[in-house]
Amino acid sequence: MTAGSAGRTPGLRLDLEVPCGSFDLAIAWETEQSALGLFGASGAGKSSVLEALAGIRRGARGRIEVAGRTWLDSGRGVALAPEARGVGYVPQEAALFPHRDVLGNLRFGERRARRAGQVHRRLQPEPVLELLELTPLAHRPVTALSGGERQRVALGRALCSAPALLLLDEPLAGLDLALRRRILPYLLRIREEFGIPTLHVSHDPSETTLLCREVCVLDAGRVVACGPPRAIFGAHRLLTGSAGNSVPEMVNVLEGRVATVAESLATIEIEPGLCIAVADEGHFVSGQRIAFEVRASDILLARGPATGLSAQNILPAMVREVHLPESGDLHAAAVVNALLGRQEQAIAVVVSRRACRELALAPGVPVHLVFKAQACRLLAAY
Amino acid sequence: MNDGALVALGLSAQVALCATLAILPPGIALGWLLARREVPGRALLETLTALPLVLPPTAVGYLLLRLLARDGPLGERALGFDLDLLFTWKGAVLASAVMALPLVVRTARLAFEEVDPRLESMARTLGLGPLRTFAEVTLPLARRGLAAAAVLGFTRALGEFGATVIVAGNIPGETQTLALAIFSDMQVGRDSEAMTLVAITVVLAFAALWTVELLLHRRRAR
Repeated sequence: MTAGSAGRTPGLRLDLEVPCGSFDLAIAWETEQSALGLFGASGAGKSSVLEALAGIRRGARGRIEVAGRTWLDSGRGVALAPEARGVGYVPQEAALFPHRDVLGNLRFGERRARRAGQVHRRLQPEPVLELLELTPLAHRPVTALSGGERQRVALGRALCSAPALLLLDEPLAGLDLALRRRILPYLLRIREEFGIPTLHVSHDPSETTLLCREVCVLDAGRVVACGPPRAIFGAHRLLTGSAGNSVPEMVNVLEGRVATVAESLATIEIEPGLCIAVADEGHFVSGQRIAFEVRASDILLARGPATGLSAQNILPAMVREVHLPESGDLHAAAVVNALLGRQEQAIAVVVSRRACRELALAPGVPVHLVFKAQACRLLAAY
Repeated sequence: MNDGALVALGLSAQVALCATLAILPPGIALGWLLARREVPGRALLETLTALPLVLPPTAVGYLLLRLLARDGPLGERALGFDLDLLFTWKGAVLASAVMALPLVVRTARLAFEEVDPRLESMARTLGLGPLRTFAEVTLPLARRGLAAAAVLGFTRALGEFGATVIVAGNIPGETQTLALAIFSDMQVGRDSEAMTLVAITVVLAFAALWTVELLLHRRRAR
């Protein structure tokens, strides 16, 4: 059957070469996870990988295996046609059919699900319109939509097709912060409710950390790292390594439940007994699950008692690792990995080398993490 | 309007319509091929389909005549039977079809080139095979341009003279189309009749071009 059933792990096996402009992209990646990320700066070749997976990229060579099915094996002359792969592809430019209205575009996807006998009640056009808050736009021509609306329609069309693999190309790029906060929960919900294996292309570390269980980092057509996003984005070499312009900012993504809301502060319980104060802009509700990010450079480290500070978050932690930059690199800061709470959440902190020396930071040293409630940026509430 | 003019008009419409219907399928196919496929000998194909556009129509007519003559490659002797095209209205259809084909191919090609190939790729990833993608995405998106191609082909066939007069002759009531009737009337000095026919052709051509303009302009504005 062309479309896979929801909830199945994809078992993605890639060994691909794709000519793309100035370089030949090469990616080898094997994973059993189903929430996957492809991370890298623009021009790293991420979109080319998606196109090769969708079967619409000419010149892709190598092997693609998804959930045990071979999609491409150029050595044996196997190349499954795009219509036989059953992917839900959401390209950056949305590529909506201009001769159909919003509902018509979703129905276009739905027909594949019907033919394949993959009819899920919640993946029908009506509930999907509802889920993506598109119901009032159902009969609008797609040429009259805003960028964010087009993205959601493209996502809806892909969902309605009950895909074996969802390919999302920067679904949040080009959207403003408010819209990102609104769409991110949909993506989380898609992951959690439908369990559709998803490959999510992004250049945003927080987004990738939140949505993906495993991430593959591409730089100039080469895989530079592969693994769980928290481990990858906490790794020092990503901050100093690779091409200078493509260094991602190091962020910590935390998830938890809103415990209390008072005096423009929300208390987020990230594990039993461990709470973080987050500035409330008026959209927190008690009991809600939220995700937020704290930049590694917005956190202070204190040895000994940290008292008399206005910062609302002063949390005991333990240094796990200290990464000093190469001796020749005078401009780079040090990165300290600290463990927070009983569940030992890894938190990355950027400090200067002098501070590192003066505080004698080393593995096993107890410290306090100090940061303002204002330094916590809301990613999504769901 | 006199009876002769009406007969000529009816015959012209019949010939042009048949010619348009006959060249639309190959014209659309060739237009798509030139717009979307890297076929070997593409430049040659392009040149060949454009040739009737620049050759003197009489030259094309003469080639068709030799092709269909009794001892020609498609004549009675070679085929073993007579196609019976020469000096019949079907011969006029053939002549005007050949002359109108380049215009249809070029307009159809432009229509297909305006369809974003990414939309076709998208339809493929959503489970449509190449044929259904063509029918459900490419054709609907190119429909205005293709309609313009048909109208342009029809008008070109309607005004055909040079090739038609050689292949089909100029037999009143049988092969004498509007264009041929104007020539005949002029030669024998029936000026008012000629003028009537000219007026009819101007109205027809104007209406057709206006339609094409509307079709193509609205497509651009969309």
